[in-house]
Amino acid sequence: MKQYDAIVIGAGNGGLAAAVKLLSSGKSCLVCEKHNLPGGFATSFVRGRFEFEASLHEFNGIGTPENPGSARKLFRELGVEDKIEWIQLKDAFHLISQEEGYRFTMPFGLEAFAEATEKLCPGGREYVERLFSLGLQIRNALDYLSASKGKPDPDVLKEQYPDYLNCGSYSVSEGFEAMGFPKIIKDICAAYWCYLGAHCEDLSFLHYVNMLYSYISGGATIPKYRSHELSLAFETRIRELGGHIWYNTEVTNILTDATGHVSGVRLKDGREIKTRHVVANCSPHVVYGQLMDPAAVPERALKLTNARKFAGRGFTVFLGLNRSPDELGIKEHNYFLYDTCDTVRQYHSMEKFQDNTVQATVCLNRANPDCSPAGTTILYMTTLYTEDVWSTVTAEDYYKVKNKATASMIERFEKSTGTRIREHIEEIAVASPVTYARYCGHPQGTIYGYESQYWDGLMPRIMMVEEDHFVPGLRICGGYGERLLGFPSSYKSGNNEAVRTLHDMEKEGESYALSE
Amino acid sequence: MLFQNNPIPGEDAKRFMQIVPERRRMIDETPAKPLPSTYAVNELAKELHPGFIPARIAAIRMETDDVRTFTLVPADSNKAFPYFRAGQYITLSAKIGTSRLTRAYSLSSSPKQALAGIYEVTVRRAGLFSSWLIDQATVGTELTLGEPSGDFCHDNLRDADTIVAIAGGCGITPFRSMIKAILEGSEHYRMTLIYGARSRSDIIYKKELEELTDERIRVITVLSDEEAEGYEHGFITADLLKKYAPEAASFFLCGPDAMYHFVKEELKKLQIAGKYVRQEHNAVGNRSLEHPRSFALKVHMRDQVYSIPALENETLMAAMERAGLAAPSRCRSGVCGFCHSKLIAGNYTVPEEHEYRRAADFKFGFIHPCCSFPDSDMEIDVPTE
Repeated sequence: MKQYDAIVIGAGNGGLAAAVKLLSSGKSCLVCEKHNLPGGFATSFVRGRFEFEASLHEFNGIGTPENPGSARKLFRELGVEDKIEWIQLKDAFHLISQEEGYRFTMPFGLEAFAEATEKLCPGGREYVERLFSLGLQIRNALDYLSASKGKPDPDVLKEQYPDYLNCGSYSVSEGFEAMGFPKIIKDICAAYWCYLGAHCEDLSFLHYVNMLYSYISGGATIPKYRSHELSLAFETRIRELGGHIWYNTEVTNILTDATGHVSGVRLKDGREIKTRHVVANCSPHVVYGQLMDPAAVPERALKLTNARKFAGRGFTVFLGLNRSPDELGIKEHNYFLYDTCDTVRQYHSMEKFQDNTVQATVCLNRANPDCSPAGTTILYMTTLYTEDVWSTVTAEDYYKVKNKATASMIERFEKSTGTRIREHIEEIAVASPVTYARYCGHPQGTIYGYESQYWDGLMPRIMMVEEDHFVPGLRICGGYGERLLGFPSSYKSGNNEAVRTLHDMEKEGESYALSE
Repeated sequence: MLFQNNPIPGEDAKRFMQIVPERRRMIDETPAKPLPSTYAVNELAKELHPGFIPARIAAIRMETDDVRTFTLVPADSNKAFPYFRAGQYITLSAKIGTSRLTRAYSLSSSPKQALAGIYEVTVRRAGLFSSWLIDQATVGTELTLGEPSGDFCHDNLRDADTIVAIAGGCGITPFRSMIKAILEGSEHYRMTLIYGARSRSDIIYKKELEELTDERIRVITVLSDEEAEGYEHGFITADLLKKYAPEAASFFLCGPDAMYHFVKEELKKLQIAGKYVRQEHNAVGNRSLEHPRSFALKVHMRDQVYSIPALENETLMAAMERAGLAAPSRCRSGVCGFCHSKLIAGNYTVPEEHEYRRAADFKFGFIHPCCSFPDSDMEIDVPTE
């Protein structure tokens, strides 16, 4: 029977990174991917004369070759850095919120951001500068924590990172309140909340400020050839390192031996492949609920999985327009369109079809002018559904429901921005939760992993990462993992779970070698 | 310190220390009940996109001398077929001799019929597979269907309210599905069908079209080789289109490549914006070469390696099909990307009109075998079906 040191289930961002890490550490590795492409959400598709980006709005943590961000450092270490061409984005976001009448663009760069804030709200500079110095302290504290390998010196933490400790339990709302922010400063600073998909009462302040600081200080990028370029860069690296990647290959079972340790996987066609280590790039709901023999799933794994909540189910409208952005009057790259900056109310409005008008919309040409033929525009608008409204849709109604939700997003964009795009639609494609469920298998079409609920945010997940490990030989990576959702997070998660797998292999090395 | 929320020093840090015990408590309090084995949205995804579907031929109807309509039903007769959008195609696969062949056919039945477990495809005798279907297949013959695919469908956000459907020969089939969809209420648009056929005896669905009385649908038949009362004569020219096409319309073309070239030139004369002209993609034909060479094609599929011949005038997909390999095949026109494969070595040519790869595919060396012709010995890594 065929045998590998490790098998990676799913070639999403996490799985790809995990495979590269395992292979570059000299282990043999097979990646099994259910779909015919690598990348999971990190992909693209062609319609007519347009190639659409499937999911990525902006990639944070790349920086420049001279001043690399954490994601670039990882890509460098994994040997994929040189395979990707990055485009730097100029502005952070353009926020339009109906209730407050906001309509402004915020730039990248700490100074530029502070300057723009001051213009919107005299005296505002001081608030965001304070937030940025907290952001720096949080980053340094997190670096210190990872360098101390889980055994930090409490005195060092108290002396050097007092604010990190103080705000560690705060929600975003509590944090802004504690810093005495006026409403408009809160709203400007919280604008990215939709990237994490939980509202500010739930979201971890540490997590959010760390992300905001990373975005504003380091800027964001996109790969020149859509995220398919990222996925093929990793795919190519896997081949270079002698790894195998099998497409249209669904793993239906993770097999365990009498001791409960992973012993192999079974494919859909019944074929079994031996391994002692699996890195699963899929939802724990799928791993424990579908891939494993129920008898082999520890009780606590069930309790934890049951306790968690699915985050946003994705919905994206992709438009190829037969006019240039200039002709259409689309000025910005990245739009956040909200009804209100009250994130709790906004979050709840996303529970229903009729109330959900939130969108994060990207005009790709504003960042990458060559992404479509001259005189055309690529626009894509994403929203999340925070409840399972798509569960009640029947096959017969599906295309109608999708069409209606699409029309309302287009109308919202037109009304909010004062543009006319409808008559210029040359190509249209829509990804609903059904589409995401189809291609990536995530329960209910979830695209954001487990929601960052207050009790289940970044910090407790990181601190309990070994406690959350239940099955010997099985590690779970990706957007459901300890680092939560997002491109950089999922690559890092894959790398981290590969490192843990390597440790697992080391620990059991001797006895395993003997038993062979 | 940047801020101190809690008036009691150290209290905030203590609360931070509570987040782990708090999370443990949440887990402790949750019952260890079994996890769901599936989810409603995932079930809907499976219903709409089940992948491959075993089916059999339930009826065969003669349309013209060389055209038949096949009624297909699921092999498991209690099941429905996946719902679809009028204009989409399915694939039919069968083993013929040692070959495994897959061909795409537009559905000519209606979306609602699918729910009753009926698909229809209308096939003209042309190549190996269609000849086998017409001459060899019988009621009861089993086939494997590939799920409905394709975008040759009306979209009310993109298209005009009226489709001017320009059909050539067997290109009428998706429009029959659209007409049925309009009549049954699953689609909402108007259609002016301009149907080109050689003579009256070549008109597919002749009776059905003559019996249409719905005011949303208008049918004009253009005979190229025959003059007859009630029919236009000649080709589908700009003048003819001007005569019948309403002011605001989306032109949907389905027919042979020669028709596309001709009609698109005619549409240019009418200055129709590109977004209002859409065409269904035809399968890649053979390259015309006088003395096609035979190359060695090495195909990796998972951990298997196959060495097979590949003719210079045929696509890599055709070579794999002839060798009986289970390569993923769907549109056979370069568009759908289902056969996306890694190029390991060798040279190849893709006809420009079938080039729909992603930009990164060029950068990292990926091809669509269904539209790639070998120019040398080649080695590729292909997913299994």
